[in-house]
Amino acid sequence: MSALAPTQRAFIDALYSQSPCDPGIEIYRRNMLANLGGALASTFPVVERLVGDVFFREAARVFVLAHPSRSGDLNEYGEAFPDFLAAYPHARSLPYLRDVARLEWACHESYQTADAPPFDLASLGAVPAASYPKIRFTLHPSVRLVRSSHPIEAIWSANQPGRDGTPDRETGPDAVVVGRDEGGVRVRKVEDTEWDFLAALEKGATLEEASAAIGEDAAARFLAEGLARLVREGMVRGFSVAAA
Amino acid sequence: MTSAPAVRPSAGIGLRAAHYAQLLERRPALSLLEVHSENFFGAGGASLAWLERFRGLYPLSFHGVGLSLGSSEAVDAVHLAKLASLVKRFQPALVSEHACWSSSAGRHSNDLLPLPYTEEALANFAAHVDAVQEKLGRRILIENVSSYMRFAHSTIPEWEFVSEVVRRTGCGLLLDVNNIWVNSRNHGFDPAQYLAAIDPACVEEVHLAGFESQGALLIDTHSRPVTNDVWALYRGAIDRIGPRPTIIEWDADIPELDVLLAEADKADAALGTRRGVEQAA
Repeated sequence: MSALAPTQRAFIDALYSQSPCDPGIEIYRRNMLANLGGALASTFPVVERLVGDVFFREAARVFVLAHPSRSGDLNEYGEAFPDFLAAYPHARSLPYLRDVARLEWACHESYQTADAPPFDLASLGAVPAASYPKIRFTLHPSVRLVRSSHPIEAIWSANQPGRDGTPDRETGPDAVVVGRDEGGVRVRKVEDTEWDFLAALEKGATLEEASAAIGEDAAARFLAEGLARLVREGMVRGFSVAAA
Repeated sequence: MTSAPAVRPSAGIGLRAAHYAQLLERRPALSLLEVHSENFFGAGGASLAWLERFRGLYPLSFHGVGLSLGSSEAVDAVHLAKLASLVKRFQPALVSEHACWSSSAGRHSNDLLPLPYTEEALANFAAHVDAVQEKLGRRILIENVSSYMRFAHSTIPEWEFVSEVVRRTGCGLLLDVNNIWVNSRNHGFDPAQYLAAIDPACVEEVHLAGFESQGALLIDTHSRPVTNDVWALYRGAIDRIGPRPTIIEWDADIPELDVLLAEADKADAALGTRRGVEQAA
């Protein structure tokens, strides 16, 4: 007599264990490592290209055994992989690897976030000029902000399909905005001030507060050009006006 | 519960991203496009936009791989809610899951793990199928899986287990002929005995796929053409149960679309012969 719950618990224990197991279960362990490792490779293709597939497979194996999948949806797997890479002893010679992985996770998230209708700049016409400082823009659900001291945008771009892997810059820091348009997920390096401004908006700041966060001069420059571009690129979902 | 419109008893294929653009351009005659439900669990984005394009062109089948109906714990409410919302939006012709389990105490294998075939596992599985049919407001299909080990404490043959799930819950059967073949070799039974135990009336869909050998075991990899043995078993199955919508599954080392469509043509040839027999009778 062997009840279902303990049987299944012992089976999953065996799958996520390093020790030798029953040959029948061993096949399932190999399948699981291949499935979860494959999901990581599909979410982190640039990391895989940077380290090579043999290194990647071993890193994925160590990661999977230490980080059980928590969802029946494989697309949710791998959020902890960037931090794992930062602590992975064999990846010490690649200090930028964690941040490149963070950028890839941001792209992965961005890809499947909610759709939202394009924002019409003309709708701001209904707001009296005196209330502009109180406008609170909401960013499109697909927007992700990633910042690194390494040239992650250059590394990421150089390792897209069809590129030879040679980055056009050797140094960071990189402030990167991930978003989505008709063509799919887009990755763009922006000025630090623009990134800070977006980070403030992401936290719910009004225009006045976000401007204060980056200084009046930078804010004036950004509002003159950058904001319209963000709207054109679909980075803005809508706005509300904060109570005065 | 509502019934979906009947699907033509001819061949369809598993829809994979590598073929999206070509399929949309060529629009070959297919009875069904089958997707893995979980691949469309995102809130938005390109995957769902593609599915919107296909829904008007082909009947859809949502084939789940992650609900873990055989787990001793209750069905994951979040996972089920995502499936329910997807089903509500697309109203697919068919919705299916597997006669297996995947997770225990919050840890997932993301694989189709074998069940011990016991009265306890059967009652548990049937209760979970009931819960899903209740939440979705429709009948689902359950697919027999390949397995690479058996539990010594199993007391029920696999074919009786799946038949009894159907009898208790009113669900349909997605009969994977390749999985029957793989298991018959891995566990040493006669595949004809399996087929003979299946009530033809409950089979609403059939799966075909290719496997690979690892030592003495056959592994259901969905990475190869359907073998001659499995085609023969398929013809026998269709002779017995009648023509049914049949999906060619190919998930690894995905070939050119034409290779997949050639496999679908072979299934259509077998189905066409059988349809001819029925019309003549």
